[in-house]
Amino acid sequence: MKTKAIITCLVTAAAIILCSCSSGKAEEKKISSEIFAMDTVMTLTAFGDRAEEAVKAAEDEIYRLEHMFSAEDKSSDIFRLNQKKSIKLNEDTGYLMDKAVKIYKDTGGAYDMTVYPLMKLWGWGTDDHRVPSSDEIKKTLEYVGSDKLTLDSDIIKEEKNQGIDLGGIAKGYTGDRIMNIFREYGITSAIISLGGNVHCLGNKTDGSPWNCGITDPDQPDGEKLLGTVRVTDKAVITSGGYERFFRDEKTGKVYHHIMDPKTGYPAESGLISVTIISRDGTLADGLSTACYVMGKDASVSYWKKHKNEFDMILVSSDKSIYVTPEIEKYWEKT
Amino acid sequence: METKKKKPRYDFILILILAVAGLGILAFAFLTGGGGASVEVSVDGRIIAVYPLSDNREEVINTPEGKNRLEIKDGRVRVTDADCPDKLCVNQGWISMKGQSVICLPHKLTVKITGEEAPESKGADIVVK
Repeated sequence: MKTKAIITCLVTAAAIILCSCSSGKAEEKKISSEIFAMDTVMTLTAFGDRAEEAVKAAEDEIYRLEHMFSAEDKSSDIFRLNQKKSIKLNEDTGYLMDKAVKIYKDTGGAYDMTVYPLMKLWGWGTDDHRVPSSDEIKKTLEYVGSDKLTLDSDIIKEEKNQGIDLGGIAKGYTGDRIMNIFREYGITSAIISLGGNVHCLGNKTDGSPWNCGITDPDQPDGEKLLGTVRVTDKAVITSGGYERFFRDEKTGKVYHHIMDPKTGYPAESGLISVTIISRDGTLADGLSTACYVMGKDASVSYWKKHKNEFDMILVSSDKSIYVTPEIEKYWEKT
Repeated sequence: METKKKKPRYDFILILILAVAGLGILAFAFLTGGGGASVEVSVDGRIIAVYPLSDNREEVINTPEGKNRLEIKDGRVRVTDADCPDKLCVNQGWISMKGQSVICLPHKLTVKITGEEAPESKGADIVVK
């Protein structure tokens, strides 16, 4: 009798403790990792029984793709192509270049992967930035234009001096690949940042959408956000002149890194930040650059034709914010 | 057979067990998640040091790629000096909010402020840059 009563007490107590523990804490295993690749810092967080394996597989994939897409890595497809007139493409590079050409055509050339000679001329990717002369820019522009490429199983450049820079979409594609890897491992909740490009898988473990903060272009390192947007299964990618820029010591003028492929100068479209929200991270990455170059009016009319592919948040130099109607209810300004 | 008058003591035991268990859970939560903010220093993804944000101090972080000098003062932290080529980490200045970080890409170094709300960045789950 006595023993039975004590056992009853203990079992009840244990049950209460167990209940309070499991309701208070997320039951799923969380794995986070931070790695340096593609010239930036990346954080990967996944929830689930196989999160550890999934994150490891994602890291391996990042290193594999980095090796393939880098314009500086001497054994990469892109490096070899930039030295030669034509090369045979592997599956990933082929897919990415097809997509790059499609975005180029759709946006009337506002996104163009052949800006590489221009990027080099301005010194992007080095510590040695400079403002080129208008003659140099004019001459370099002759090599810019994805219409001068022929693409099937091989890629053929019209001019040997043409060059490819996949920097504008490679991280978006990498994020898409990681989301697929996570799905293969049965992960249903994950969030990654590839140098500020965010990809969310599913919802948070409590079932609510991921709350993504958008950087205020006026105070990128400040304590205040522009606002937050709640998303499920989306890539959220921002392009802004505040990300990388240099100041010309002679004139004091600031030049940012988003090149207008038509003028050869940093884009001045009246936009200071463009955020694209889409299921397709590669598209989101390419479009964030394209819309930044196109400006607000052209971006809005582009969006009207491609409504079900993406949403966007545009910040103009007068600080006004445009949000596409579909995401207005998920957007909260700070 | 035992008498009935001893029975109320089992209730007492149950309350005692629950009270002890409750205190245990609170202590656990406090030790693992509570308390003040910390400065977490990682090199190439591995945490190499954690300092309380409330402790004023200077530290030199040696990474395989070079050195960064760290200063924690009055609840803020910054990189005061580094032998990296771009000095972006030094130029970033002070950070003080949970979730904020200073990054030195050439040295693969991150200095992050963490705490009970560590995954939250400026009130969001993540910040898009």
